[in-house]
Amino acid sequence: MNNWIISIKNLLHKPLYTFLSIFSLSISVGLLLGIQQLDSSIQNQFTNTLGNIEMVVGAKGSPLQLVLSSILHLDNPTGNIKYSEVEKLAKNPLVKTAIPISYGDNYKGYRIVGTTTAFSKIYKAQLLKGKEVENSMEVVLGNDVAKKLNLQLGDTFLSSHGLTENAIEEHEKSFTVVGLYKPTYKVIDKLIVTNLSSIWDVHNHEENEIEEAPDEEHREEKVHEEHEHHDHKHEDKEVTSILVSFRNPMGLMTMPRNINANSTMQAALPKYELDRLFRFTGVGVKAISWIAYTILLISCITIFISLYKMVRERAFDLALMRTYGASNFQLFRIVALEGILIVVISLIFGFLFSQIGLYFIVNLFKSQFQQEIILTFSTTKMLNNVFIVLVISIVSILLAIFPLLKMNVSKILSDEK
Amino acid sequence: MQSTKFKMVQTNNLTFEYKKKEAVFSFPNIHLQEQENLLILGKSGIGKTTFLHLLAGILKPVSGSVLIDEVDINTLSHSQLDKFRGKSIGVVFQKNHAVTSLSVYDNLKARLFFSRKTIKRSEIDSLLNQLDLIETKNRRVNELSEGQLQRLGIAMAVVHEPKIILADEPTSSLDDENCTMVMRLLQQQAQKSNANLVVITHDARITSSFKNVITL
Repeated sequence: MNNWIISIKNLLHKPLYTFLSIFSLSISVGLLLGIQQLDSSIQNQFTNTLGNIEMVVGAKGSPLQLVLSSILHLDNPTGNIKYSEVEKLAKNPLVKTAIPISYGDNYKGYRIVGTTTAFSKIYKAQLLKGKEVENSMEVVLGNDVAKKLNLQLGDTFLSSHGLTENAIEEHEKSFTVVGLYKPTYKVIDKLIVTNLSSIWDVHNHEENEIEEAPDEEHREEKVHEEHEHHDHKHEDKEVTSILVSFRNPMGLMTMPRNINANSTMQAALPKYELDRLFRFTGVGVKAISWIAYTILLISCITIFISLYKMVRERAFDLALMRTYGASNFQLFRIVALEGILIVVISLIFGFLFSQIGLYFIVNLFKSQFQQEIILTFSTTKMLNNVFIVLVISIVSILLAIFPLLKMNVSKILSDEK
Repeated sequence: MQSTKFKMVQTNNLTFEYKKKEAVFSFPNIHLQEQENLLILGKSGIGKTTFLHLLAGILKPVSGSVLIDEVDINTLSHSQLDKFRGKSIGVVFQKNHAVTSLSVYDNLKARLFFSRKTIKRSEIDSLLNQLDLIETKNRRVNELSEGQLQRLGIAMAVVHEPKIILADEPTSSLDDENCTMVMRLLQQQAQKSNANLVVITHDARITSSFKNVITL
């Protein structure tokens, strides 16, 4: 027999009180830990995906949409810009890299991105099998795409127009898988990477078909004309956006303003736009956190009431223990241990609730948005929360056991039930 | 009762005052040698329970002293007194209670834990056997009958083999048969533990069980 056993038996003696106290405190701890872990994981994930991209240049429209569509591949593009602009931008001495990307097609919901080989370097993606794209209509698959679609080297597929899965608007030219990337846990895992020519070829092929359809007899003549004008047409090619990194901060300070003021394009700063996005979503996170804090406070009041009630109801038991030789301090310990047990069990269950909840949320993201969230664990944030829970709980426990200080053993034992 | 021999329990000029009630109680001196029992008779409101609480060190006297086994319990610090009470004193209350969240057996274990004493499981079983409680060993105390609770109260007062057993009105609510049984058990257990038994009551039926009787 010891203080712990007595405390545990006391808790088991009032299972409903104990259950309610643990349940409510676990829920609030779970909500607090879960929402903050999810928030910091998403922020980390987004920031991680930025890599060294400091500016995105695309068609005029919403800068947030441009960032979401070009970097996180979550939204629709704002439009297209001329490829010649990429070449012009790349020549600017302030620019370190200017990576064009072109997209607008998908295969079974996975976006096909036409770009250069520099694109994979942003995400430090390495080949697991095969080779990088060298020729038109070759693709390298992100790790998740390869796994989900069960595609292997040499497999071919037809892409569909648009960014969502559809079998109606399928293109006729097929892509061939020439490489698979290792997992990076970044957005490239969800992409099908090809070169810009592939995207242009797929669309040019169809444009030609539309032109050819009314008059089959003139096909050969038109093909001949196409070849003649190939070089001229290359100049008219378009891309969706350009991912830019600078040689020095001067580029970041001057170029976005210059592009926005003096061109038909817009320049968006991913870090700024994502900060803005987090400020919007942060309101929701704060609201849920406050709800969790409110539940936490209510839980601690429940613990206080249940312990206080216990001290009052079991005053005779506690007075008896004094006659058995228990010191006041021992009684404090027994009652405090009951509270501490409730808090510790609640913290454990709260943590488990948060992880179970996050598991479902992560799976939901995966199935609904094809976005894999890698849960990151901020020990400091978690310890902060645990500290807050402990402080509020300890105050509740101390308030509840305070009457023990003033306990008049003789009076309690004289006023026998 | 007065003797020059070694005294196990001794009180000298004990007085106590309830400040709110402005009532002052003075108590007679008692001197008990080893294994000597005492019955203190008195009407309700005369301060019987106060006297018992003074003997148990639950209350501090305004003046006077209580010596048990040559220790003046009122000179002890709080923690020393708690330890002393746990080891040397056993109290039987008028209505018997035990810790409600614990079983009969766990109550006895808790009693020993607070007394900082350990005895063998077989000795606890033997005590429960003597008090006809062995069947109820694993039952919660709220599942016990009044008679079983009364016997558990006695077991709790003697399990740690105290030097003095104090009983407050142990028979007042009992019929004659149970009154005799409880007194017999108390005396048997006191004898077995070599303890002094001090019973405080207004119940004159038990006068014949004692050689030493004082009336307050």
